[in-house]
Amino acid sequence: MAAADNPSRERILGRIRTAVQTLGRHHDGPAGPMFAPVTDPLDRFQKECVANITECTVTANAAASAAAIANVLASLPPGEIFVQDAPELRALVTSFKDGRPLRWSSEGPPNEASQATITLCEALVAQTGSVLVSASNGGRQATVIAPAHIVFAKLEQLVPDLEAVMARIHERGIATKNSYVCLITGSSRTADIEKILIMGAHGPRRLIVVLQTG
Amino acid sequence: MSTAAREFERKAAEKSADLVHRGIVRWNIDQYDTGVGRGKTRFADWEAARQRCHDIKWEAVNHLDKYLLQFEQKVKENGGHVFWAENGEEARQYICEVAKRGGVKKVVKSKSMVSEEIHLAQALEKIGVEVVETDLGEFIVQLRNEPPYHIVTPAMHLNRQQVSKLFHEKLGSQETQDPPELVAIARRWLRKSFFSAEMGISGANFIIADAGMVTITTNEGNGRLSTSVPRIHVALTGIEKVIPRLQDLATLWPTLATAGTGQPITCYNTLMGGARRPGEVDGPEEFHVVLVDNGRSELLADLEQREVLHCIRCGACINACPVFRNIGGHAYGVTYPGPIGSVLEPRLLGLKEYQHLSFASSLCGACTDVCPVHIELHHHLLQNRRNAIHEGTHSAGERLGMKLFRWTMMSSGRFSFFGSLGRTALRMIHGMGLAGTALDPMHPWTKEHAALAIPRESFRDLWRKQNGSR
Repeated sequence: MAAADNPSRERILGRIRTAVQTLGRHHDGPAGPMFAPVTDPLDRFQKECVANITECTVTANAAASAAAIANVLASLPPGEIFVQDAPELRALVTSFKDGRPLRWSSEGPPNEASQATITLCEALVAQTGSVLVSASNGGRQATVIAPAHIVFAKLEQLVPDLEAVMARIHERGIATKNSYVCLITGSSRTADIEKILIMGAHGPRRLIVVLQTG
Repeated sequence: MSTAAREFERKAAEKSADLVHRGIVRWNIDQYDTGVGRGKTRFADWEAARQRCHDIKWEAVNHLDKYLLQFEQKVKENGGHVFWAENGEEARQYICEVAKRGGVKKVVKSKSMVSEEIHLAQALEKIGVEVVETDLGEFIVQLRNEPPYHIVTPAMHLNRQQVSKLFHEKLGSQETQDPPELVAIARRWLRKSFFSAEMGISGANFIIADAGMVTITTNEGNGRLSTSVPRIHVALTGIEKVIPRLQDLATLWPTLATAGTGQPITCYNTLMGGARRPGEVDGPEEFHVVLVDNGRSELLADLEQREVLHCIRCGACINACPVFRNIGGHAYGVTYPGPIGSVLEPRLLGLKEYQHLSFASSLCGACTDVCPVHIELHHHLLQNRRNAIHEGTHSAGERLGMKLFRWTMMSSGRFSFFGSLGRTALRMIHGMGLAGTALDPMHPWTKEHAALAIPRESFRDLWRKQNGSR
């Protein structure tokens, strides 16, 4: 947008510049850590998943991960599954015969009626039991559209806390490389009616994390 | 008294006598209090969290030009558009232009209080664009043709029976007392809108200078769908929402969630820095950020009240406020209810018309105690009162009355003389059988309360009698 199209820009900035020549009052209080350090990330992650209603399965190897994913798919109604087109997921998902139609992210965004989406993630956060995803994980809709979202992650992706995950976003340029980043904690919910917690408002009713340690 | 003030008094009296309404609000806030109490135990030091949030917002607000320019540059580098709007009119015009240019017929909106502040939906509807609110609470109040009742919980004032009846009337669904079924009805209805809308409008909880991204915080996923599926994404926000660094979110996200709902962190904290990039699977083709001033830069120039711009709109002060708990959100008649609104709205809309909001407080300070960014809300209410008096917006009668009161209170002799005169006069009036009637000078009190017995002696007389000295 050229400056001529937006004359208010300079007016607003002018008023701001004049105002901030004098600094406002600062409140001085205790400075210290907000949270206790996370000592056992894997244990903490699993506990937080229970609390925020994420289904977390810890597996030892690729075969066990494939079995865990097949197990989740078997519990779902018939219908198409959308999968992020990544070599790890190609290997995992094609190792079992589920018989469902598969749509890969390389073919475009998921169909609205997909029964589940399967994606990788950028990181897991132990402190809050969260999953960090980006547009690289099959796009924006891949992690929100279906009733079930299955995330496949490796243990080295687990970071202890929010400070660490923000640092990771910075170090790996995740926010620079992607137009979209989302920190997901549990499945979609609402408490807008009488403060009653109801799962599955607009996003997934189920969030499943398959966390492979080996 | 202004029209707005008379309307406020009428609605406040009506709502505080509505026991069903009070029951619903009490239930909601009890749930909130329990959740927040539990949420705070997850922090090693809640006070340290408040301090860190204050530090971040102080840094941002006191260097607002620097961080807004940094943000703007980053957004532009990524192909996005940034528009600076002096007021609501300019913001509405810009967004309507974008809609017209893009051939937009339907807009899906995720929650944005700034859009309420500038009456955006009405402007879009005027040019023939359908606007669908997608947050469940917002959807409910939109169907009722009402503004949001609360900035975090827009439909806090309704119970499941009322929602069921509303859906039955407006959407043709079967009546149900089952909240999950009510949510499912809304989900099915709104899902069609997400996939047919050409434009998604979101607010922004924060805009991040060093990343050139906006972040929205939602539990339902409606914010994510609104910004992922439609062709155009417009993020509408106040200039004060900027924060310096991405890293600051490690502090702000959990604190906002806990102060807002008691959650350790909200379900979806989404960062968006532009339209779909080459190689990305999906996302909008256009990304616009509208930065709204609308009186904020004037607040910035007021050193006494600058910190009001630190507000992260968590709603904690609203929930803590005994006035809100009794009169509810709609009685205020403004976009932002509760203490933050009673500080902000008279500044944005004019002290002359809206000063009554700053006066409608017992100044108990509960709001200041719970504010996660240390805004001294009740002091600002008092400053608004002082400023209103200095602006001379009060009637000559009231000014004279206060002068007489001051003159009386400045001398102990005058004080006891008028005290004794008042008691004698009241006893005579009550002796004539006028107690409790409209002619009783105590009527403003007795119309709502039991009558007080008029004491024979003053406190001073009693003290002298019991202690034998002055």
